[in-house]
Amino acid sequence: MKIAFIGQPNAGKSTLFNGIAGYKTITANFPGQTVHYTVSKVTVADETFEIVDLPGIYSLTAIDKAELESRKFILSGQAHVIINVIDASTLSRSLELTLQLTELQVPMVICLNMIDEARRKGIEINLEKLSNIFGVPVIETIANKGIGLDRIFTSAKEAFYKNLIPQIQNFHKDIEEKINEIERIIPAEFLPKIPRRYIAVKLLEGDTELFEEISIYPEFLSKINEVREEIKLSHGRHADTVISSERHALTMNIFEEIAKVGEPNKTLREKIDDLLTNRYLGYPLLFFILFGIFFIVFEIGKFIEEPLINKFDLIIQKLPQYVTEGSLMFFIFKGLLEGFSGGLGVAIPYLIPFFIGLTILEDIGYLPRMAFLMDTVMHRIGLHGKSVLPFIVSYGCNVPGVMATRILESPRDRFITATLSIFVPCAARTTVIFGLIGAYIGGFAAAGLYIFNIFIIMILGAILTKFIPEITPGLIMEIPPLRIPTFKNVFMKTWLRLKDFMLVAWPLLVISSIILSLLEYFKLDMFLNQLFSPIVNLILGLPEQTGITLLFGILRKELSMIMLFQAMDTTNLSTVMTKIQLIVFTIFTIFYIPCVGTMGALIRELGAKKTFLITALSIAMALILSILARLIFSIFL
Amino acid sequence: MKTLMNIDNGKKVKILKISGGKSIRQHLQCLGIHIGDIVTLKKSSFLGGPVLLEVNGYDVALGKGVASKIEVEEVE
Repeated sequence: MKIAFIGQPNAGKSTLFNGIAGYKTITANFPGQTVHYTVSKVTVADETFEIVDLPGIYSLTAIDKAELESRKFILSGQAHVIINVIDASTLSRSLELTLQLTELQVPMVICLNMIDEARRKGIEINLEKLSNIFGVPVIETIANKGIGLDRIFTSAKEAFYKNLIPQIQNFHKDIEEKINEIERIIPAEFLPKIPRRYIAVKLLEGDTELFEEISIYPEFLSKINEVREEIKLSHGRHADTVISSERHALTMNIFEEIAKVGEPNKTLREKIDDLLTNRYLGYPLLFFILFGIFFIVFEIGKFIEEPLINKFDLIIQKLPQYVTEGSLMFFIFKGLLEGFSGGLGVAIPYLIPFFIGLTILEDIGYLPRMAFLMDTVMHRIGLHGKSVLPFIVSYGCNVPGVMATRILESPRDRFITATLSIFVPCAARTTVIFGLIGAYIGGFAAAGLYIFNIFIIMILGAILTKFIPEITPGLIMEIPPLRIPTFKNVFMKTWLRLKDFMLVAWPLLVISSIILSLLEYFKLDMFLNQLFSPIVNLILGLPEQTGITLLFGILRKELSMIMLFQAMDTTNLSTVMTKIQLIVFTIFTIFYIPCVGTMGALIRELGAKKTFLITALSIAMALILSILARLIFSIFL
Repeated sequence: MKTLMNIDNGKKVKILKISGGKSIRQHLQCLGIHIGDIVTLKKSSFLGGPVLLEVNGYDVALGKGVASKIEVEEVE
């Protein structure tokens, strides 16, 4: 049995999903062209359930790309049972989606999640009444505490075997007549598997996707436009507004029937929330929170890194005792050890605290508040507050950062935000900044480099906006209540993100390190270095040996630093490179070519042509900035 | 005509008109903001920044572009 979790964004679908899919089952990501939903198999009492976690969707009229993907899945008819996950504290609004889901005529279960938050807001819900209205099972859950999860499967089974198809709630008579009128004339071969009523209602609402699809039936199309005009004339409002008001009125009626709203408990949370988005204090708090996270990440990372790296250095030094120095085996072992230690010693100590910090910020709900605070600033670079989210995620890794641009409504915003995102120093580049600038020049220089980076991104944003003028409506975003992150969820998310690094990036690091070692053995490295010498040596003024490390940096940015030690044959770079060279090298690494993973994400989100454009831009930027840095610092240092 | 941009903090307002295209209207409807609804302005615009609304017990942020397209009247 295939069950799909459908609900509005932030209703707790994924928390429910993780709660029942657990650690035991294999979760698979299906990164199709744009689809990004998670499927998992769970066996309960001899029955296997395939559960699908879809991106949140406010309505079946999709607004952004992620919502469109969810809608496609729902309409594909693959799900045997729909679990409509509702944030009980926003019940009145959430029921609007429920009404639309009834039109799909698939067995359904209504799951009222976060019932504790609803109670805190003073909302009491009568489950029996709700269940009677729609004719489907209704359950209560508190997903983050694991309460009520066991009932999901039993009620899904009940809905499936008893074929509990939700009851359609009727609009006013005149609108129902119009819906019937259209239902009757829908060509039989048009989307035959989708209920006629759903199509009729969506067409009355002027759904963009469906309108494109029916353009092949010109007569039908003109009839629909006729009916829409009739509604506009009789109601004095656009047909889509009329339908939406009808739905709104219906949900308000249902809400009043099933829920009692008492006095909300004003809590400490509201006070903290008020402070976080305060027009004066919000900004220094934002600065301290971000700065605090970077500081903690840096300190913890350094604390773990140093003893680990020392251990590995010792092993590498002892290597000639076991394998003949200079032999092929020696080079392979050396590469293997260096790659292994690069992942374990340099990347992971910084990644773990960073992922924990990011997850906590996400789970508390601070990111949307940042978007609110930064809206005005983002307008300066032709974007709006929501673009802050991909940027912040990009500080962890550009790949999810680029993917997060899906939350933006217009293709223009997605393009500009994705372009700017790839210049955000990800965790990999952070290790380069700390490992080279932080270690050899100082913490302030490293911090300065971050500020310089933000400055450049803002200038680039302003320039891009000049070329692609603003047409976006601006920020429209729900700000969810502050929540206390649970230990389990933070642990799980950090683990999932870390697993990604360990399974994909780390092996790549080890393999590249071995390849570099082999190149060295066959003396091919000199040839490659000479090839890049005009750029590396003449233009950037870097030692010739760095050419090959920059080449490897395209795979993973931290490779260029890890390999730098290997290529320069030292553990103390300050003996072989000047401060200016270190700065130029780091700046070049930050800005040039997005790594392979990011390029893959860009191709998926924007297409090959735009990816090529962005890549070319990044190389130009890296060259210009590095040359400028070289010139300016030669004067001052 | 007053829009959401010129209302003080903490005031309750009734939404009279939403100008702008279909996409804005639909987006606002999805978030539960309809003509005739009564909402509370939790944080008013500061230096042309966004506003924060409370709609039926949850918060929605609107940038100035959108907020200036929503005509409202103060209610008590």
